[in-house]
This record gives sequence, C-alpha cells and structure tokens, in this order.
Amino acid sequence: MKKALIILLLLTLVISGGLFANGNKESAPAAAPETVAKAEPVTIEIYYPVAVDAPIAKILAGYIADFQKENPNITVNPVFSGGYGDVKTAVQTTFEGGGKAPAMAVMLATDLYDLINADYILPLDSLLTKVPDKSGYLNDIFPSFLENSKYDGKIWSIPFQRSAVVLYYNKDLFKEAGLSAPDSWDSLAAAAQKLTIPGKRWGIEWPSGWPYWLFQPLAIGAGQNIIGDSDTEVIFDNPKVVDAVNFYISLSKNYKATPAGVQGSWGAVPTNFANGSTAMIVHSTGSLTGIINQANFEVGVMPIPGKTKGTYASVPGGGNFYLLKGASDAEQEAAIKFAYFVTQPKYAADFSTKTGYIAVRKSAYDEPVMKEYLAKVPQAADTRDALKYAGKELSLQNLGEVRNIFHKHLQAAYSGTVTAAEAMAAAQKEADAALKDFK
Amino acid sequence: MKQKKILPYVLIFPTFLFVSVFTVWPTLLSLSKSFFKQRLNIAKYREPVFNGLQNYSDLFHDHEFINVLYNTLIYVLGTVPLTILAAFLLAQLLNNKFKGIGYFRLAFFHPSILPMVSAATIWMFFLTPDYGLFNTSLSFLGYTGPQNWTANPNLALFAVMIIAFWKNAGYYMIFYLAGLQNLPSSIYEAAKLDGAGYFRTTFSITLPLLKRSTLFISTIAFISAFQTIDHIFVLTKGGPSGKSTVLLYYLWQTRFENLDVGKASAVTIILIVTLLAFTMSNIMLSEKKEVPRG
Repeated sequence: MKKALIILLLLTLVISGGLFANGNKESAPAAAPETVAKAEPVTIEIYYPVAVDAPIAKILAGYIADFQKENPNITVNPVFSGGYGDVKTAVQTTFEGGGKAPAMAVMLATDLYDLINADYILPLDSLLTKVPDKSGYLNDIFPSFLENSKYDGKIWSIPFQRSAVVLYYNKDLFKEAGLSAPDSWDSLAAAAQKLTIPGKRWGIEWPSGWPYWLFQPLAIGAGQNIIGDSDTEVIFDNPKVVDAVNFYISLSKNYKATPAGVQGSWGAVPTNFANGSTAMIVHSTGSLTGIINQANFEVGVMPIPGKTKGTYASVPGGGNFYLLKGASDAEQEAAIKFAYFVTQPKYAADFSTKTGYIAVRKSAYDEPVMKEYLAKVPQAADTRDALKYAGKELSLQNLGEVRNIFHKHLQAAYSGTVTAAEAMAAAQKEADAALKDFK
Repeated sequence: MKQKKILPYVLIFPTFLFVSVFTVWPTLLSLSKSFFKQRLNIAKYREPVFNGLQNYSDLFHDHEFINVLYNTLIYVLGTVPLTILAAFLLAQLLNNKFKGIGYFRLAFFHPSILPMVSAATIWMFFLTPDYGLFNTSLSFLGYTGPQNWTANPNLALFAVMIIAFWKNAGYYMIFYLAGLQNLPSSIYEAAKLDGAGYFRTTFSITLPLLKRSTLFISTIAFISAFQTIDHIFVLTKGGPSGKSTVLLYYLWQTRFENLDVGKASAVTIILIVTLLAFTMSNIMLSEKKEVPRG
C-alpha cells in the first residue's frame, strides 16, 4: 500500500515536471514570429521601495502599462522590496550570492559611493545618448536633485522620487498670534515660544531619531554644511555647525518650545501638526499630501529659516534610478528607456501630484495636471521653491559608518550628556579615522 | 541485518544535508571570512586580504563594541529570567478553572501571534510621549518621569525590553501550561493531604517535574533574545547614541551599513560561540542533575 502511494506520488511529480518542461518548450517557438517582425523581446526587473504613504505600486503599474504599450517588446517587472534599506540589502545579497541582479533599482541618492565602490552600478553617460535630447533632459532636472548623481565626471543615477526638508507652519495660529512667517533663527524661536501652551501645544517639533537629514538645514542655515567638496571630507567641528547644534538644543532648553532631548517622533509629528497639538514641524515634503488632507487650517510651507535674517536652507532627499551591472545591453537600454519614460514632464507631474514628492523636472510644473493641482494645493509650489535654498545632502565615501558616527554624537549632544562642541569634536575625530582608508 | 544499519543513515540524510548546507557551511564560511579584511566599499579591500585575528582584536579594543556587549548582556539578563518567571506564574494562574479563563488565556497569548514588527509598531503608538496609551496609563498611576521612552538614552534599551517581555511571556506560558496539564493530579492531591502549601508544592513538585519544559523554554528564550531585533529597527534604530544597540543589530550595521564583511563575520562567530556555549552548558547542567535520580 505504502509503496503504491510513493510510486503514485513520484509519477505525479514526473508528469507535472514533464508538463512544465513541455510548457517551456512550447512557449519559445510561439514567441519567435514576433521577434522576426519586431525588436527582440526584453524583460527587465526593477527593485523598488515604498517609502511614503501613497499607493506607489498602483501608480507605477499604470506607468508600466503605458510604457509597454509604447514599447511592446519590453516587459517591466516591478519588484517591491520593502523600504530603501531593504532594496539595498536585496541588491547586495544578490550580487554577493552570485545571482542575477535586477536591471534597475530605486535606491537612495546618497548611496552613490557605496554602490560605485562595491562595483554594483553602471555610469549612464553613454546610455543616456540613446534618449532624445540628453543635455536638454539633464538640464531640465532640478540641479540640487542631480547633484548626488555625479561622481568622477559621470552621471550614475536618474532622480526619481525626490523630496526636501521643509518647515510646515499653522498659518491660522500665526495669524491669531499676530506673527508673520519666520525669516531667521531668532524669529523662528520666538514664534515657537509664543505658540507654545505648556501641556497642550508645542511651538515646534523637530524629529531627531535619525537626525542627520533634518539637522543639515540648520548647519547650512548657520553658514556651514556638514559635507565638504571632496568625497572624503566632513565638517562637523566647525563653530558654525556647533552653533547649529546649540540652536536645536536651545529650542527646548531656553525657549521651552519643543520637547527636550532626542525626538524619535518622525511618524507622529505630521499627525501632531495636523491636529493642532504642535504649531510647526520640520519634515519631508513627502508628507504634504497627508498633512493637507488631515488639517482643517491653512498650512504654510517654507524652507527652514537660517541664522541671519532673510536666509533660508533646505536639503534634498529621496531615491534615484540606478542601473545595475550584469544586465545585457538590450536590458540596459530598456531600463534607461523606462527611467526616461517615467521622468517625462507628464509623468513626473502626475507622480508628484499623486505622492507628494517634488517633480524632478522643471518643465513638469508647466503640465496642465500640475497647474490644476497647484491651483488646489499652492503649497506644492512652495516645496519646489525650497529647493532654491537646498545644500548638498550628506553623501560621501563610507556613508553608513560616517553617518552612524555623526548620529551617535549629535544625539549625545541633544540628550545633554556632552556639550555640542565636545560632541562635534569627537564626531570629527572618529569620522576622519573612518575615512582614512578612502583618501 | 545489513539493511537495518543503513536505514538510520538514510533517514537522517535529508536533515544532515539540510543542516550541512544551511548551517554548517555558512558557519565555516563566516569563520574563514573572519580572518580576512574585506570591505565592499573600499576598492583595495574588495577582495579579501588575510589579516589573522585582527578583526577580533579590533573588536575587543573598540569601546563601542564593548558597549554593545554590555547592552546585549543587560538585554538578555533583563528579559530572559523575568519572562520565564512570568510565563510560569501565568501558566499556574491559567491552569485553574474559573469563569472567563478562555478570555485570559487569549489575552496573554495573543501578543505572541503578532509578528514582532507589528508588535513594535503598535508599541510605537503606546509609547508616544504626551498621549500614548503607555504614558497615559502610567501617569494615571502617578508616574511623572520622562515619557520619551524610545529616544531617552537611559530608557531606550528598557523600552525595547518591555516589548520583548510583553511579546514572549504569553508564548512561553503556553509551554508551561501544556506541561502543567500533563502533570497527574494525584500527586497534588497527595501533597495536599500531607499539608504542603503553595510554595512547597511549586518548588518540590511542579518545578522539578517541569524541568524539561524549563530547559526547552530557557534555551529558546535565550536564543530569541539574541536573535530578535525587529523591534529595535522599528523603535530606536539602536539609538539614541547607540544606547539600544545589541549584538545582532551591530552585526547588521557592520555588514550592511559599513559593508565590512570581515568584521561582520567575526561578530557572527562571537554570536555563534556565545549561543553554543550557553545552550551546551544549559543542557549539560540540566542533564547532570538527573543522574542521581536515575
């Protein structure tokens, strides 16, 4: 009886295997006639993170359908692989395990150096000659977005889902208190102090659970970005940077306008702002849509005021398309075609209105769909305009380690266990040591 | 006759193959990689260069790694014994028959069916300063201390420990409960006739009889304490200032953020040796005591 059962199972296995094999064999000749008539069929995979509260998968599926209609020989398979970190980890493990990497992946713009050093990605210059009007295309992308794509005189990535740090403020509360939009650290702190109601409302909330990004506008606003010109230089111990750390601390210590210490409040503050329990927040432009939908007051959006009156600062963020090594020429060409396709003004505008990301192309703001959106949500133009004040996002050799060093010491200063000057001096020393091998 | 001797090997072969390929081989690979300097983000070290025990020496001279070991020790010693104790007490409590027992069993067990990431996300809302459920409940009880649990350098590790405790106590309880329900009631009746109270019964009858359960639970609890870091990812990212970074989180950072394959392999070996040492000594100690009884 048992034997019979085993034989039966084996038979089923063999038969189903045979069917599969047949299926494969049959599908090959079926595709052949088309290849004669048209270009070789190409299938590419794209690893893709979902980092914001928007139906990215659905939106992208629509673009892919449009793209495939225009390019019937290309099939695009999007693989949604979690957050940015998960995509990078998936790509790494695929390469290290000797597997075939996807033709393209969306990863953080700042991952550039790690990806180049690990030999995972391709420069795009020669491939970009295949898109119509290469220089016009690149010139139409906002320069602060393209900045993190350049290394060694080459372009390594195409900006796609991009954001920036901005200050959201409750215009109704400002009007009530007779305040105008802040234009300096002093007026920002004064407004935050005035709008604080102890136990009921904070004047400002500024998350610092993963702090470098939201800190950079402070350093830039003080007159010294934390990243230098070379790819191995960080500037942490400059008095202006220390000044910026002290300003953040003063918001709680002196002005009592924000909770003290490190704030792991990234996910909570847009809601706190929308329900009126905080008057201002510093956050990503990516939260705009969510905030506008929830808030029942007039939302103001602006770059972060700088130290000197009339100066402002911001910093870009978000993900770019990278082409990964190991793909065939046809796959590479298909991938760049797709990256170009979804960054056309029409799609860039559509993507921006649906997600809250800033459209990466200047001309996207002339599209009818964008104009219509701007009429409804004028703040979307403010998020774009913040880019004018944007400095370079922290991106350099050995990013992961240097960023962790900076976070560790910056948070120690925020927690009050060391002074700002001590923290930044220690961060500089450790970061320099971590960068020694890269010089 | 000969066939009978081959059969056991045939039967364990699939397991043997599986363990060899997915456990032994990667371990050996990590061991060998831990003697090399290899950093994927430095061109000259992309290919491994032999450097003996340098990775280990670097680790033990790095005060950050010592700090990570310290955090790990606090985390393990703070969660494992307490969770097991709570599991045992809960099991004793829920082994009684009273009205609504099903509700309580469900209430204590349900955290363990949640994935850790979901549990941590729920706790992120509980722990929100000012209006989070955890803080509201605490202030109702008269707590006036700091509320910023996940970002306060003195509380962050404690906060992730609370979640591990909440998540695991109900899970380990089920094993004790199963054990308790298998114990013959006649022993307890006899003990009762002899006038043994709760403590006497617990220490002289229940605990010795549940020794195997305790061995099993303490082993999986210890291993899970080292291996579960999902809640740290969600809630603290090892921060602030590395105050809640434990060994496995540090391993992830070293491998996937610093791209330091050699050092990450050394950390892997340290982790494996620690786990092996504990598991072996746990089993040996527990089995040893059984000899005189036999």
